Amino acid sequence: MSERDMREIRLRVNGKEETLAARGEETLLRALRRIGYVEVKLSCEGGDCGACAVLLDGAAVNACLVFAAQADGAEVVTVRGIGTEEDLHPIQAQLVEKGGVQCGFCTPGIVVAAKALLDENPAPTREEIRRGLAGNLCRCTGYKKIFEAVEAAARQMGGGEDA
Amino acid sequence: MSARVVGRPHPGIDAVEKVAGATTFIDDMALPGALTGMALRSPHPHARILNVDASAAERLPGVAAVLSRNNTPDAPFGIIDKDETALCREKARYAGDEIAAVAAADEDAAREALSLIRVEYEVLPTVADPFMAQAPDAPLVHDSVPGNAANEFHIRRGEVDAAFEAAHARFEEEFHTHLAHQAYLEPTGCAAQWHPDGRITIWGCLQSAFVIRLFMLAPAMGMAPDDFRVVQTKPGGAFGGKLDVKAALLAAMLSRAARRPVRFMLSLEEDLIAMRPRMPTHISLESAWTREGKLAGKRVGVVAENGAYSSLSPSIMSSVSLRPDNLYRTPAVEIRGKLLYTNVIPSGQMRGFGNVQATYAWESHLDGVADGLGMDPAELRLRNYTEKGDVSLHGWEIASCAVADATRYVMEKIDWKAGRARGGAGRGVGLASCIHVSGNKAAGVGLGRTDGEEPSSAVVRVDAEGGVEIRSGESDLGQGSANVMAYIAAEVMGIPAERFRVPPTDTDIMPFGLGAFASRITLIGGNAVKRAAEAARENLLEAAAELMEIPANELDIVEGEIQAKALPERRMSVGEVARRSGGAVEGGGKWLAGGVVPGRDKYGNASTTYSFSTHAAEVEVDMETGVVTVLRICCGHDPGRVINRLGAEGQVEGGAVQGMSFAMMENLAPVEGRLRGTNFHDYLMATSMDAPPIEHDFFESMDPHGPFGAKGLAEVAINPISAAVCNAVCHATGGARVRSLPISPERVLAAIEEARK
Repeated sequence: MSERDMREIRLRVNGKEETLAARGEETLLRALRRIGYVEVKLSCEGGDCGACAVLLDGAAVNACLVFAAQADGAEVVTVRGIGTEEDLHPIQAQLVEKGGVQCGFCTPGIVVAAKALLDENPAPTREEIRRGLAGNLCRCTGYKKIFEAVEAAARQMGGGEDA
Repeated sequence: MSARVVGRPHPGIDAVEKVAGATTFIDDMALPGALTGMALRSPHPHARILNVDASAAERLPGVAAVLSRNNTPDAPFGIIDKDETALCREKARYAGDEIAAVAAADEDAAREALSLIRVEYEVLPTVADPFMAQAPDAPLVHDSVPGNAANEFHIRRGEVDAAFEAAHARFEEEFHTHLAHQAYLEPTGCAAQWHPDGRITIWGCLQSAFVIRLFMLAPAMGMAPDDFRVVQTKPGGAFGGKLDVKAALLAAMLSRAARRPVRFMLSLEEDLIAMRPRMPTHISLESAWTREGKLAGKRVGVVAENGAYSSLSPSIMSSVSLRPDNLYRTPAVEIRGKLLYTNVIPSGQMRGFGNVQATYAWESHLDGVADGLGMDPAELRLRNYTEKGDVSLHGWEIASCAVADATRYVMEKIDWKAGRARGGAGRGVGLASCIHVSGNKAAGVGLGRTDGEEPSSAVVRVDAEGGVEIRSGESDLGQGSANVMAYIAAEVMGIPAERFRVPPTDTDIMPFGLGAFASRITLIGGNAVKRAAEAARENLLEAAAELMEIPANELDIVEGEIQAKALPERRMSVGEVARRSGGAVEGGGKWLAGGVVPGRDKYGNASTTYSFSTHAAEVEVDMETGVVTVLRICCGHDPGRVINRLGAEGQVEGGAVQGMSFAMMENLAPVEGRLRGTNFHDYLMATSMDAPPIEHDFFESMDPHGPFGAKGLAEVAINPISAAVCNAVCHATGGARVRSLPISPERVLAAIEEARK
């Protein structure tokens, strides 16, 4: 890596200021993982699977399709910015409760996509949930329990059909 | 007994960690000073390697090791046939075959080193499929194997010819299945660290930490199995694909050469072109029937695509060939199986182990039979199912069976009678059933056990804080088998499940287990854990008896407290008992699979026991475009007994959607040995938009061999759905039978045309 190709980037990740030197072609996914945010999962690196989804200034994006340099000055939220073991977000708590987790590899991206969906639409229908998660592959669950978890989270958060 | 834990819905003991993004997968693991390992892969499906010149790569700054045939021994390995080497010797046999491997300071240096390796190839004609492989003048994939025949068998049982002669009706059909990948989301990866004492530690997403040492690492590296410490990291999905993981071997070899730790992570593309996808098959079926709709005899012919190397494929072909004969009472059968080498990615085991293919073909065939006999397809099945107490013509002993209950359930849920009465106008229903091994006895032998046993063992340890650790040699591959172990032990011990930990397998610490395949962990691993938990409970009570001065038989454990049955206020926590008994109380247990290892005639009770399921699908077919929409799926399963209801439901829902995805869209699509589906926009699989509503239930046959009556579930959850969907499509279209998977719109349209003739 030659130094003249490097660019200094500042961003906030889960509320914490981060400064890093990135090459022009380095993706946000690679950069985040390099500085320790390994909860952002590396899988297809082609925008097909959603495992690397993060909130970039509030919108869900595949971090593999964004250059790190494009995120300069941005606010990034990963699954751990949404909730941690001690303080689970309702989406996470309901994924546990409803059994929407098996191997857990897609789960960080699912949580991020579901968060973006509920931020925009606090009371989604089943069809809207299906569409909201269409960019996130899950190979284990068959999706049903993930849909149920997102519905239950919406209800818990005051949205949902019963609200 | 009334269960406190078993059978209830549990969210999984590691689910919180997973939803918080705190689970460490192999690529998340830091290994100080680690080099980056990468492989140079053959661009040609078939080529003689005239020369490998790695000198420029070796001189590149930052490069610590370059391995090729020039500096590695010719040490063949393989689970059944020793037909593989770590790096190519005289030939490359598929596009993706490893020619050389490098370890360098970072990814850039590793890539540059690969680009500097000069390989001189003499390109050879590609053996693209098993039919080309059988041609008299076909090139040989392995020069020492004439006719490219990797494996072949022929068995006859009963009076087959007489059955066909006497039959009321005879049917004949051919089916074809395609090359599909496990497509777990976590790309395969391993890391290795060579130690100065000569041992090597390997971390990786492995289904079977113990046995990879036996069949791959030890023979390929000229070391003893115990020279390797294999530590499993949590796999981000596996589905059969992370059993023979060459990344483990290449990481270990590079680490030994460089005397440094090495990380060897595959890209998704490498994973798709160079792991072990589901074996493509060509299945011909003939069946003979009595007037009453009873099966009289079968002839089965299987031509299976081995790809470049065999691994477990001879066993998979065997499974393709004879599994469904055990689901229906079959008086006579003749089977010919042939496995052929080709210059395509080596095929292998994926969830179902050949039974997805076998069940698709036979269960599709049955609907044609029912049509020909003028019978309802469900009724035909119900007349022929095996039952508890049967011994099949292959010698399988059916110790428990609730397949008929499962079928009646899905018929009710899918509204079978009304649905069948409609049909033909673009809407239809179909169903299919399956049988699957649960704890295949032969697996242990195939994977390197020389004593003919298929063992599992476990240690359960209660610590001074009241936590309980289960150490098992089995490997959770993400499906939740660690949870199943925790719930079994929690039930036995009277300690809340949340206090249990089931760490991933570590071969230096854990007792032996074969790992995750053949739907064996719940049954075989579960029995070992149950025995270990029983021993630990007994030891706890004995220790408590001394401390509390109450006889052990007057004590019980309730919610983690040991209490006097007569005086519940006299109690002591299990943690305190452990603390005052030397710091920990342990129990050990082991369990050997039942059944026998069938010989060359493939006769014998191959597995401890057997699981069953029936799936039904309702579909809509656009008669103009051939596009199929699965409207809903209903499933009935016989898993013996449910241990964790939430986990069991997850197996069924995930299996059904994964199977539907296989049948309808997934395809690596090899053309002249090269794959087209090398990323997730060309390799399509079911998304949330494709997943139909699923309704399902369990029919508990309480197996006499299973822990609390439980059997395996993961594979019966996937096997029948392909045929259920195809049968529904056939019903919806008034007879369009798709005999080649996947059922693409083009094929559906062609079948509609064919049916109209």
